[in-house]
Amino acid sequence: MSRSILLGLLTYGLLLTGIVTVKGEFIALALPLVTYLIVGYLQAPEKINLEATRHLNVERTSPNSDVDVTVIVTNRGSNLEEIQLEDILPAGLTIRSGPSSAVRTNRHLLRLAKGESYTFAYTVSGPRGGYVFDGLELRVNDHLAVSSSKVRVEAKGRLFVLPPLTRVRNIAIRPRRTRVYAGTIPARAGGTGTDFFGVREYQPSDPPRAINWRASARYVDKLYANEFQQERVADVGIVLDGRLRTNEFASGHSLFEYSVQAAASLADALLNQGNRVGLLLYASYLAWTLPGYGKIQRERILHALAGAKTGESQVFSDLEHIPTRLFPPESQIVMVSPLCDDDFAPLIQLRAQGYEVMIVSPNPVKFELSYLPTIATVQLAGRVIHMERAMLLQKMGRAGIHVLDWDVAEPFDLFVKRRLSRSPFWLRAIGR
Amino acid sequence: MTIIALVLSILLGTASLAIGYIQAGVTSYSLWFLLLAALWLAAHFRKWYWFSSIALFVTIFAAAYGVWHEFPTVWMLFGALGGLLGWDLSDFARRLSYAAPMDDTRSLERLHMGRVGIVAALGFGLAILSLFVRIHRLAFEVAVGLILLATLGLTRLVMGLRKY
Repeated sequence: MSRSILLGLLTYGLLLTGIVTVKGEFIALALPLVTYLIVGYLQAPEKINLEATRHLNVERTSPNSDVDVTVIVTNRGSNLEEIQLEDILPAGLTIRSGPSSAVRTNRHLLRLAKGESYTFAYTVSGPRGGYVFDGLELRVNDHLAVSSSKVRVEAKGRLFVLPPLTRVRNIAIRPRRTRVYAGTIPARAGGTGTDFFGVREYQPSDPPRAINWRASARYVDKLYANEFQQERVADVGIVLDGRLRTNEFASGHSLFEYSVQAAASLADALLNQGNRVGLLLYASYLAWTLPGYGKIQRERILHALAGAKTGESQVFSDLEHIPTRLFPPESQIVMVSPLCDDDFAPLIQLRAQGYEVMIVSPNPVKFELSYLPTIATVQLAGRVIHMERAMLLQKMGRAGIHVLDWDVAEPFDLFVKRRLSRSPFWLRAIGR
Repeated sequence: MTIIALVLSILLGTASLAIGYIQAGVTSYSLWFLLLAALWLAAHFRKWYWFSSIALFVTIFAAAYGVWHEFPTVWMLFGALGGLLGWDLSDFARRLSYAAPMDDTRSLERLHMGRVGIVAALGFGLAILSLFVRIHRLAFEVAVGLILLATLGLTRLVMGLRKY
């Protein structure tokens, strides 16, 4: 019950009793309450007009890093005797330190005269995600809190806690079709490049150093020239598997963070190579980041990954509904998924449609065994499941799908360097 | 400062009621008032702030009961005033707990104490005045003016209450 209603009821009760019993003492008893109410209402703020601005020292950061939030509240209306202020934190962020940390709150009690401003700051941190600060919730009272108004003041702010990015270099992919621009992906076509592609008849525009003297020596009237493989950029679609059943395990253990980290690192590396990269999050819904080039696209993908969550949906419970029309024909698809048995057929289907499919698969068996007790039955079950998974990966490998089985205990950059990196051209030139 | 004032207010309210009841010869209720004071304080320190509303209701009801049975009115008035102050300060203490350490709570406390003190003094003064001043004859114009003033005041009160 509101304070004014309680006081009002008591006052009316006493006044009515006084009138009914014709006893002035009841009225006398009611007078302090009446005075309290009247003074309270007279002091009620006439016009509440508050403005707030928010400043974050960074707008993008890495998980669990400190971010300083500064809020300035300005009173544009009449004098406000008492303001209870709470800055609403987006779910997931926690206050780390700062002046208000002692009470672990971003709440304040203040008094603001007309035209006066109040500044407060606190520090937050949080896990990967996209966070939107909406505004402040204020309760404006008169000094006796008889009249009270709840006000919401907008103070927008956005914070992206991006997934950790491990720098990976020279990822070797080989899609069937490339784009026209020069890049680092072997294009399966002769031209200028570094890798030997074949020998053809010498053309007048060829440089003399391209002449293959050994082949030309076999013929009297013709010269032959070496042809090198063209290197171009390619279209790459990264598919991040966010299905609950493949990522989440008992006791809240999840492989998804590793998958997100892998997707971010791969996207960064592929964009650095000049490729056109798009991202599809396959979870309870499809989140598609249109393909693009360069640093802006990297930001777009990182922002999409910051907000990526696992989800469950009957429609997307298996990989059959990957919308292949999003990816250009014969392009490279890089899938990041722990995989399950049902995924074999849809992936073969992708391969049959002409896509070059590469799967980076965080190993769920090793991950689960890492936190389960090392008892004989668990070990046996682990071995059985491990064999099943090995067979699945082998079948995929035979179908022409490049599967990379990643034990998440190993840092992703080392894993990629070991399994995916392409030697620089000067090393390839000497056959290493 | 608020806590001290709160404890004093609660003691003032309950002790006044107890004294008033004892003076009227009803000693059995006095212990209940002391129990109410203890409960109120305990509830405040356990952060059961809702209890202060119940306590206010009890003190006002006890004061009204005393007035009805013609117990000493001044003690009943002090009881009601103490209950009102205790209720106000308990809620103010709750609101103060909202403040961050950097907030200037001292000036807020000072200001609140000043305002509440004035309100209490004014209320008590008016109540005492109403007890001792008796108007036997009132001119018709004055009576109409007073009725209009009362209506205006009540309308303002109802309008204020309707907002919440």
